[in-house]
Amino acid sequence: MSESITRRGVLKNLAAIVGGILALPAARTCKAAVQKGLASSHAPAGYDPFKHKWLMALDVDRCIGCGLCVEACCEENEVPEGHFRTWIERYVVTKPKAGSGETRGETMVDSPEGGKKGFPELLVPKEEVLKSFFVPKLCNLCEKSPCTQVCPVGATFDAPDGAVLIDKSYCIGCGFCVQACPYGCRFFNPVTRTADKCTLCYHRITRGLKPACVEICPSQARIFGDLKNPVPDDPLQKFISANKVETLKQYLGTGPRVAYAGLDEEVR
Amino acid sequence: MPRMLQLPPQIIRLVLLTIGIVCAFFTARFFLTPPSFGQYGHYRANALQDIAARQPFWAGKASCLECHPSHAQKLAQGEHKGLSCETCHGPGQAHVVNPAEKLPKLNISMCVRCHQASPSRPKWLHQINVHNHYTGSVCTECHVPHQPNEVP
Repeated sequence: MSESITRRGVLKNLAAIVGGILALPAARTCKAAVQKGLASSHAPAGYDPFKHKWLMALDVDRCIGCGLCVEACCEENEVPEGHFRTWIERYVVTKPKAGSGETRGETMVDSPEGGKKGFPELLVPKEEVLKSFFVPKLCNLCEKSPCTQVCPVGATFDAPDGAVLIDKSYCIGCGFCVQACPYGCRFFNPVTRTADKCTLCYHRITRGLKPACVEICPSQARIFGDLKNPVPDDPLQKFISANKVETLKQYLGTGPRVAYAGLDEEVR
Repeated sequence: MPRMLQLPPQIIRLVLLTIGIVCAFFTARFFLTPPSFGQYGHYRANALQDIAARQPFWAGKASCLECHPSHAQKLAQGEHKGLSCETCHGPGQAHVVNPAEKLPKLNISMCVRCHQASPSRPKWLHQINVHNHYTGSVCTECHVPHQPNEVP
């Protein structure tokens, strides 16, 4: 048996391995050249994700519940019927029963079709309403996003500019991320057969436009900006300094970044 | 290498097999991993460009102002100054590309969508009950949408 292993044979094998390692860069160049030809060319040039940090803020007292933002988002991103990347919730808090010693009665939340076509009249008589308001919801742009952590294939990721995005060519549609998001911001897109979510209108913000919902909102309830490049008289900076802002479900430790002003304790 | 030659053959086979498997793994990973994977993190960096490659649907107020500056000046003086043109007029990308493509005429539904009274709406918003506010159906008989404080 020992005759089969000769000095010549071992040296030959070693040479083959060294030769293989030396050939790697050449192979890599060939591979890169082939794949460059397949890369997309429609993307806006000159956008560096490390030079931006996007953030959306929401002013609950400004939202009038018209639903134009939801409609704009669905049209901009071709969101399939019945699914939403952003939506509006209507909160109705009733008055407490007389003599109950409570601060408030029942809380009801509805969002018919995500608020896309506006809201129907309240079912509760006006006299029984303690307060009612609208809360726009969207991806909370978490710093430690649970949806990214559970993805088994690296298809979803926290981009360096603050957006949480999905690589649709990598997503296998397992739906773990849909379950992992504590804000319910993800859904399974039946058309692309992948997970889907708010991208902060990534194709718009990289071109210097505002996200569709921010562009269309008639009451400036949605404020959008770049924390790394504040413009003169920056609306986002102004909003954060003028309001006491908070984020949703901080106790979960997901590091949500979307700032809300004027939240009620009932809002989750 | 006298010592190596003394190694039992099954050990040598095992070592060679291990080297073979490791090489096969790295070769497969080399050719199957997309070029930009791992550039920014555990994902394909080119996905950012793929996602950004989509074409915008809403043109944005700045595009409207290029050709309609007078409307914008008027709008900026009234209470509707914060509104984008497309909020009421609808998506205008097609009109930007081809100005001959006109945007649809607006009707009462656009006004009512925001101004219909509701207990859920904030107090600062001007709200009307459309059933008893006015019997007609043309808001612009009394209101100028581009300058709501003005009476025609």
